[in-house]
Amino acid sequence: MPAGTALLATVVALALGGWALWRFVGGYPAARGFERLAPREVAFLRAVGDAMYPAGGVPRASGTDARIAEYVDEYLGLVPAQMGVLMRLLFFLVEQATILFPAPGRGGRRRFSALTPEQGAAVLDGWRSSCLPARRLVFTSLRAVLTNCYVADPSVLRDLRLAPFDFETPVLEADLLYPPIGRPPAEIVHGQADLTPPSDGSPLPLDGPLHPAYRAPEAP
Amino acid sequence: MIHAGYEGEIRVFAEYERDFTEGCDVAVVGSGPCGAVVARELAHAGLSVVLLEEGPPFTPAEFELDGARWMAKVFREGGLRATRGYVMPTLQARALGGGSLVNSAICVRPPEFVFEQWAAGYELEGTSRKDLDPHFDAVTDYLGIAPTPDDVQGPRNLLFRDGCNELGIGSEPIARNVRGCRGSGECFTGCRNRAKQSMDITYVPDALRRGAKVLTSVQVQEIESDGGRVTGLRGQVVAPFDGARSHRFRVNAKVVVLSAGCMATPVLLQKSGNLANRSGQVGENLQFHPGGMVTGVYPEPVNPQFGATQGFQSLHFLEQGFKLETFWAPVTAQALRFPGFGHDLKRRLAEMPRAATWDAIASCHRSLGTVRAGKGDSLEPKLHWRFDPEDIRVMGRALWELARIHFAAGAEKILPGVHGLPEELHSLEEARVLETREWKPTDITSGSTHVFCTTRMHGDPTKGVVDPLGRCHDVENLYIADTGIFPRCTSVNPMLTGMALAHRTADTIRDRL
Repeated sequence: MPAGTALLATVVALALGGWALWRFVGGYPAARGFERLAPREVAFLRAVGDAMYPAGGVPRASGTDARIAEYVDEYLGLVPAQMGVLMRLLFFLVEQATILFPAPGRGGRRRFSALTPEQGAAVLDGWRSSCLPARRLVFTSLRAVLTNCYVADPSVLRDLRLAPFDFETPVLEADLLYPPIGRPPAEIVHGQADLTPPSDGSPLPLDGPLHPAYRAPEAP
Repeated sequence: MIHAGYEGEIRVFAEYERDFTEGCDVAVVGSGPCGAVVARELAHAGLSVVLLEEGPPFTPAEFELDGARWMAKVFREGGLRATRGYVMPTLQARALGGGSLVNSAICVRPPEFVFEQWAAGYELEGTSRKDLDPHFDAVTDYLGIAPTPDDVQGPRNLLFRDGCNELGIGSEPIARNVRGCRGSGECFTGCRNRAKQSMDITYVPDALRRGAKVLTSVQVQEIESDGGRVTGLRGQVVAPFDGARSHRFRVNAKVVVLSAGCMATPVLLQKSGNLANRSGQVGENLQFHPGGMVTGVYPEPVNPQFGATQGFQSLHFLEQGFKLETFWAPVTAQALRFPGFGHDLKRRLAEMPRAATWDAIASCHRSLGTVRAGKGDSLEPKLHWRFDPEDIRVMGRALWELARIHFAAGAEKILPGVHGLPEELHSLEEARVLETREWKPTDITSGSTHVFCTTRMHGDPTKGVVDPLGRCHDVENLYIADTGIFPRCTSVNPMLTGMALAHRTADTIRDRL
C-alpha cells in the first residue's frame, strides 16, 4: 500500500475509533435512574451479568437481580477517573468484539447485548479459554468487576451463608481523636463517657445475628 | 485540634483554611508501620516531630464490609494498581496508619539466614538478627504481638495445621499485632472489633500524647535541599478520596524521614531533582513476594468467614524460596478464586462455605522491576516488573505443596487457579503437574502487597541508597524508613522487620540530634 494511502487509512481509522469511543463513553446521556452509565452500557452489563450469573440455583439471584449495572454506576464514581475510563473501555471491547470473535449461529456478529443467552455464553467461553493471554486477561478483568458487584448484593451473601456477623464495636481512646472523614473535630462522635472495655477475645458465635445491612427484609 | 491529655496536635482536612508553614526537628512522611514507629520514638525522646499523612484517619463508621467499595476508598488508584510487564495487582493504602489498617497483622521475624544473605550480598554490617533483636523485641512488646490462639482460628486455619501435621511439615500459629481478636475475619476491611493494633490506634496516638504534630490529608510533593542537606518539605492539602489539591504548605526540618512506602518514596526522590541518587539505585531492584493460592473444597462446612484472617503458617520451605499460610479476604476477593462462569460458577460459589483458601508467598529475588515517577504532577508510580522463570518454578512447587496439604487435610478437590490445568483437580496424582510442568508467567495468577528494595541499603555508596541505619549515603540529614531499604526480600511478611529497622533508625536520629 502506498505510504499516502496508509496514512489516510490510519487517520480515518483513528477518527472513526475516536468518534465511536466518544459516542459510547461520553457522548450519550446517562440512562434513566443512572448517574454515569449510558443506556447501551446498562444493556451490556445486564446481558453480560446474566451470562456470568444466570438466574436459578444458589445463589438464586441473577446478575440483573443483584443490580450489577447499578453497582457499576456507583463504583465508577468511587474509582479514579482514569480507572473508570479503562473499565468502560473494557465493557466497550467485549460488547463490540463480536465483530472479530463472533458467537456461533445466526447473527453471531451482533453486539454482545443483542445476542441470545446461549450465544452470550459461547462468547464468554471464547474469552475465558483463549490461547491468547491478553484475551484471558480481558475475561478475568471483566469477571472480577462483575463478581465484585454480584457478591456485594446482600441476598447473594445470605444465600452463600457468608454474610458478615453483627457485634458491638468497642470505643477506644483513639476514637476520641478522629472526626468522621471530611468533618471538623467538633463533630467527633465519641466522648469520654462512651469509652468501653476493649474486646475480650471471645470467639464470635457462628449462629449469631447478621450485620443489619445483610439481614433479609422482613415480610410485609 | 489539641485533645486533653495529648501534648501534640492532629489536623484533619476540614481544619485547613489557608497556606501554612511548620517547623520541627524531624519531619516524617507517611504514617504506616515504619513512619509511625519513628514518629512515636522520636516524640518520646523529646524531639519536635511532624508526621505527614496523605490519607485521612478512618473511624469504624467508615469501614466498609463490601470489599470493592472499601478498596476504592482506602487504596491508591482505587485499589486497581497493577504492574506492567507481568500484570500483577498490588496495593498501597492511603490512610492514617497506612497498610496496618488493612493488612492481616502478621508479624514474623525472619530467620538468621535472611540477614546473613543481606550482610554477604550487600556489604552490610550490624544487620544480623542478633543486632536487630532488641528492636524486634521493642516493637513486639509495645504491640502485644503473640501467636493466634486456637479458639479464634476456625476450621479454615486449623485444617492447614492438620494437613501439615499429617505430612510432617512444620507449621505454627501466626504471631499478630492484635489484642482480643474474636475471629471476625475482617482485618482487610478495618477491624470492627478494634482488636488489631494498627498504627492509627497505637503508635500515632502515642506520638500525639508526647507532643508530635500529625497532619493528615497532606501530600508531600517535593523534598527541598540545599548544599547537600535537606531543608524541608513542601506540598499541598488534598481532599479525602478525590485527592483534589488546595492549600500549600511547607515544613522546615532538621531531619527528614521518608516512610512513604516502597512505591512512593522513590517517586518523591525522583520528583525532587533525583535526590539521593548518585548510586543510580533509586527506583531500581523492585522486588515482590508474589502470592499464589490454592482453594480446597471439603466435605464438611468450613465456615471460612469465621476465624483469624490469617492464623496459621508454615516456614518449613523458607530456604527453598516460599512461605505457606492460610488466607481470608472479603467474599468479593475470595469469589474471584472460583473459576468458570454461568451455572458452573454459581455451583462453585455455592461451595464457598466448604472451601478454604491458602496462599504461598515466594521469595522472588531474581524477579526485578522498577518504579518510575509518572509524567506531570502525578505522584502515582509507574511499576514495571518481570517474573523470572526460576521464580515461577518456585511458585509451581509452592502450589504443589499447598495441594498436598489440602488433600492431606481431607479436601475432596482443589481449585488450582492455573491456566492450562482443569479448573478442579480431584486427587494428588492430578495435582502433581503443578510441580512438574514448566509454567509460563501468564499461566499463574499472582498478586502481591509485599514490596521491597527500591531504595536499598548497601555498604557501598555507589551501589545503594541508604546505609544500614537508614541514612541516605548522599544526604546526611535524610533518612528512609520503609521496606524500600531492604536489600533483598525478607522471605516472610515484612511489616515487623520494617518496624524493627525503623525503631533502630529512630534511635540513630535521636543520638545524632
